[in-house]
Amino acid sequence: MIRAPFDRLRVPSKVGGKVQRTPSSEKREKKMDKDMVGVIIETLKEKNIDLVVTLPEDPTYPLTEQIRQDPFFTAVTVTGEGHGISLCAGASLGGRNCVFITGIAGLLVGSWALAQMGVLYGIPVFILASYRGDVSDRSGISGDQLNMFNQVGEPVLSALKIPYRIVEEKEKLKRKLLDAHAACQGYSTPLVLLLTGDVLW
Amino acid sequence: MVNRYDCLTLLASWLDEHAITVTARGPNAREWAYLRPKGANFHSLNLGMCLSFALGLSLAYPKRKVVAIDSDGSLLLDTSSLVTVAGVNPPNLLALVMDNQSYADMGPTATATHADLEAIAKGAGIPVTGTIRTEDEFKRVVPKSLADGGLSFFVLKIEPGKARVEVDSRRLHGRAMKETFIENLLRHPDYPKRVGR
Repeated sequence: MIRAPFDRLRVPSKVGGKVQRTPSSEKREKKMDKDMVGVIIETLKEKNIDLVVTLPEDPTYPLTEQIRQDPFFTAVTVTGEGHGISLCAGASLGGRNCVFITGIAGLLVGSWALAQMGVLYGIPVFILASYRGDVSDRSGISGDQLNMFNQVGEPVLSALKIPYRIVEEKEKLKRKLLDAHAACQGYSTPLVLLLTGDVLW
Repeated sequence: MVNRYDCLTLLASWLDEHAITVTARGPNAREWAYLRPKGANFHSLNLGMCLSFALGLSLAYPKRKVVAIDSDGSLLLDTSSLVTVAGVNPPNLLALVMDNQSYADMGPTATATHADLEAIAKGAGIPVTGTIRTEDEFKRVVPKSLADGGLSFFVLKIEPGKARVEVDSRRLHGRAMKETFIENLLRHPDYPKRVGR
């Protein structure tokens, strides 16, 4: 019989008669880089982007949580990315500076809304998305999911005619944020900045 | 049941020039565009988009009344947006759902049989909800809601059919409609100043 090595078994330990489980935060290989959280928040404030809409996801959770606790921002947690994108489109068209923070999965869920706010209407929606499935994804999700995101993420954005840029260097994050926000307004379309693991962790 | 056109006629008379409205695709948009030719009106949003788009506008214009004129088929596509709207609880959003219990002429929606949109909205946490079946109820409930402010949600059980009104399609659909909407917003006294690059 083949047995798994002990160091690969996940057995809850007992302390004082109580089962100790691993907190979910410890399961993450790394948390989002604090400096990058700071750069994004600082840039959002510089551009007076004070409405932040998100459906929390693991890689960007430290960012969205810090935003939620900052009184400068109005933070809206949505229950679905589709109507989150629609919400941002309404606010943005109304003249309020807004950002939608999500991941590749959220973009896939929101594709119906992206098609309309992009191709149909041409409404600027500024989107920051963690690049799940990129080779630098260290979030710990399973390989088959990584592969799925990797295979379909960018092709879906291309098919929807949504401009996107990939950020791979921490040093360039601020400039990319500024450029992407300006381009989003200028193009008058949803625009996605994909944050790779090189930037997130 | 109430008549959609009659109710929308009343609604148009109750809104001031600075109110902002959003309609779902179909007869809601056509009849509303005919009845409210001026002002900021975003028309013909596709399934599932109307309420959340209106929520975004309500966050951009917190001092003005924002009205979403949605439909049963549209809202049923994304009822979870009700949870989001309730969570935000804006001070200025009135949601009216024109419930004809059918997908145009293509058969019944779930509200014809087992689904109760008002109950779903109430369960989502929306503070003021109702189902309107007579014009008297509409006259009693909606002006009060407009005067009180806050977030409210009403389902109107409407008669089948639609009014025969002529509206230029450029006022109803796509980018031409959007441009008209923006022109109206730019003249709006509350339009936020854009911060440039």
